[in-house]
Amino acid sequence: MSAAIGRGGLRGLLGRSWAGVALLLVFYLAVLLTFSVLSPWFLSFDNMMSIGANMAFIGLMSAAQTPLIIAGGLDLSVAAVAGMAGVIVALLHGNGIDVWFGSVAALLVGALIGAINGLFATKLKLNPLIVTLGMMSVVTGLALVLTGGLTAPLLVPGFNWIGSGRIGTLPVPLLFTVLLYLGLGWTLARTKFGRFVYASGGNAEASRLIGVPVARTLMQLYIFSGVVGAFAGLILAAMLGASAPDAAGQHLLTIIAAVVLGGTSLFGGRGSVWGTALAVLILGTLDNGLTLMDVSSFWQNVARGVVLLLAVSVDQIRTQALGD
Amino acid sequence: MPPLLEMRGIGKSFGGVPVLADVALAIAAGEVLALLGANGAGKSTLVKILSGAYQRDAGTVLLDGQPVSFASTTDAIRQGIRLLPQEVSVMPHLSVAENIFIGDLPARNVFGVAVVQRRRMREESERLLAQLGLEIDPAREVGTLAVPERRIVEIARALAGRARILIMDEPTAALTEHETVRLFDVVARLRGQGVGVIYISHYLDEVFQVCDRIAVLRDGRNAGDFATADASRDDVLLAMLGTRMEGLYPPPGGKPGRTICQAQGLTFRGDLKDISFELHQGEVLGVFGLLGSGIEVLGRVLYGAMGGIDGGSIAIDSAPYAPSTPIAGKAAGIGFVAAERKVEGIVPDLTVRENMTLPFLDRYRHGLSLRRAGEDTEVRHWIDLLGIRTKGAEQHIRFLSGGNQQKVCLARWLIEEMKLLILEEPTRGVDIGARKEIYAQLRELTRRGLALLVISSDAEEIAGLCDRMLVLERGRCVARLAHGATPAMLIDATDLPLESAA
Repeated sequence: MSAAIGRGGLRGLLGRSWAGVALLLVFYLAVLLTFSVLSPWFLSFDNMMSIGANMAFIGLMSAAQTPLIIAGGLDLSVAAVAGMAGVIVALLHGNGIDVWFGSVAALLVGALIGAINGLFATKLKLNPLIVTLGMMSVVTGLALVLTGGLTAPLLVPGFNWIGSGRIGTLPVPLLFTVLLYLGLGWTLARTKFGRFVYASGGNAEASRLIGVPVARTLMQLYIFSGVVGAFAGLILAAMLGASAPDAAGQHLLTIIAAVVLGGTSLFGGRGSVWGTALAVLILGTLDNGLTLMDVSSFWQNVARGVVLLLAVSVDQIRTQALGD
Repeated sequence: MPPLLEMRGIGKSFGGVPVLADVALAIAAGEVLALLGANGAGKSTLVKILSGAYQRDAGTVLLDGQPVSFASTTDAIRQGIRLLPQEVSVMPHLSVAENIFIGDLPARNVFGVAVVQRRRMREESERLLAQLGLEIDPAREVGTLAVPERRIVEIARALAGRARILIMDEPTAALTEHETVRLFDVVARLRGQGVGVIYISHYLDEVFQVCDRIAVLRDGRNAGDFATADASRDDVLLAMLGTRMEGLYPPPGGKPGRTICQAQGLTFRGDLKDISFELHQGEVLGVFGLLGSGIEVLGRVLYGAMGGIDGGSIAIDSAPYAPSTPIAGKAAGIGFVAAERKVEGIVPDLTVRENMTLPFLDRYRHGLSLRRAGEDTEVRHWIDLLGIRTKGAEQHIRFLSGGNQQKVCLARWLIEEMKLLILEEPTRGVDIGARKEIYAQLRELTRRGLALLVISSDAEEIAGLCDRMLVLERGRCVARLAHGATPAMLIDATDLPLESAA
């Protein structure tokens, strides 16, 4: 169905799965419409921005996860790394070390964890599901050990700004997230690295045989996922003004769900960050709208699951019908 | 009395390309029938129809004179027809008896729970194995058995399922000569029990040793039916290969140029032993061998896809070259087109353009981004030049036919000037029309100064296309031939005297 994609232009940038992305856009608009009818507050600028700010750290991690999954990898430790990043900053800060120095340290630890994941997955050729599941447990455990399971305050005005500050009327975390999506979207569509990502996930052996550095590409993506996970953790800690070792772990399923809902195949080779972006928006909007309508958070879980199953089924039917 | 099985007028097409046309086949109870044919002759399609994996487009299948049809492999097995695939398929962690009865465990109903009758299973297993001449403890784990014994367990499983026709696909491919003799004994016992055996093999010697009758397919049609006792090898080879070499292959090249690739004593694990050859500019060197002869690895070892070599030296264009990775092979000027196009060649979800430009993306790099205009121009050029039939450069490659996918895989290496192009099974699964085009294009490439190493288990292809030929057998180079050699000479060169072991 993509035979008619023109050179450049919006379609060119949306690339391989524009039909799926268009479907998600329709879905998103339907959700917006429904809630704006049900709640007068919903469609206000402030509420939209609050959805953006609340979903930013999930959006960041989903963004980094998307190219990794397209390339045939997976990182379940990303949310645990986010928790660890907050812990590192808070611990170092508590010992009188500058918060920005602590942030760099946290990003480096994120990179290191990503590199270890990558080594296991590419050199030992272990299943990334198992590797990163194990890593998730290790990192979560270490974060609890380091803090004794306690939440530590982290109130440094300059630092908190990256989580809750605004530039003009736009929340800073949202800006970071938008920048990351734009950067990744461009990278996947327009660069050699992006082409390697799709090729590695689409057929690793064929790619390797024509000299595509499949293992290196995956390694870089694992490190990237670790760094972005740590960065998202910093944003979350800055937003909350505190670091909790298990702050992000509960969001892991939402992150993976967003990538899948966004049309990225868990088998690799297909997907786009635009789909993920819309999926994050849909999930965030759903939570927000249901909260505005006073629906209990227990029911919100149910709604999220139903939306996920529904959207994935519709996409599957569309794919089979069109042979895309 | 009707034959045990009869197939009449069988036809089958894939995507409009006929693979089988009006094929007939009959086998009597207690008969061992060889099914022969070159690659692409239609043997595997016919066998898949018989075993229920494919549905026929035309024709009838009669079992005991009664028309039958098989909706699935399970259905065929239920009606007594079983295919033993080339790779032995047993469950290594289950016992011999469990493996034999896995499809239909003898069970007794105890308070609504089906409980396996272990003793009955054991006794039945012993009886079946004795019929096949194997005396082992049915309680043993199959993983502890040698390959031919596992094969016998698999045959016993078929007999336990009351199989009346067994199709054996290259049953000796993984066996040593001694083990092969043992398998022949089993086949003889099956004959004694009135089982019909369809025996598929590339080894003519084997066929002449164990089979009663030989049926030959060529290009999807019947090409001969011989009683083994009255047939000569030459008759059978002629039927297999035909004489229609003319027209399909371009004339051989002119005078070869400078040496592009010189391999001296190339050795790799147990797969290649002391192989030496020279390949010149403008030349097509063919390497022929049967499955397991080393042709599966020769090309990829040279290219670097298997890592380093264990012995020998290689020079590419007079510069020493040590295989290590595909990236290094590419840098040395070697291109490689793998045999299994779907698994190792194409990236199905990428477009024709993206597949074609993947090895040399740096050409289109402009700063950080790729310049689409440059890609588009180049891809369109090769689509036109190679006659790739596609809706356009943006078509996903998985929608193309095998031959056109192969041309894209070929074009990948034409974008940059390569010195040596290695092609494995370049026309496997490609229809005859596209084959002719690909052969002509390969010859044209040599005129542009490329050296080609064509590796194939299709003797006709190697004999027709190549200027010089090597024959591999069990990892060694056993013959060197020049253009003009016949496919029969190539096949003859691979035959080891099996009789010496018997």
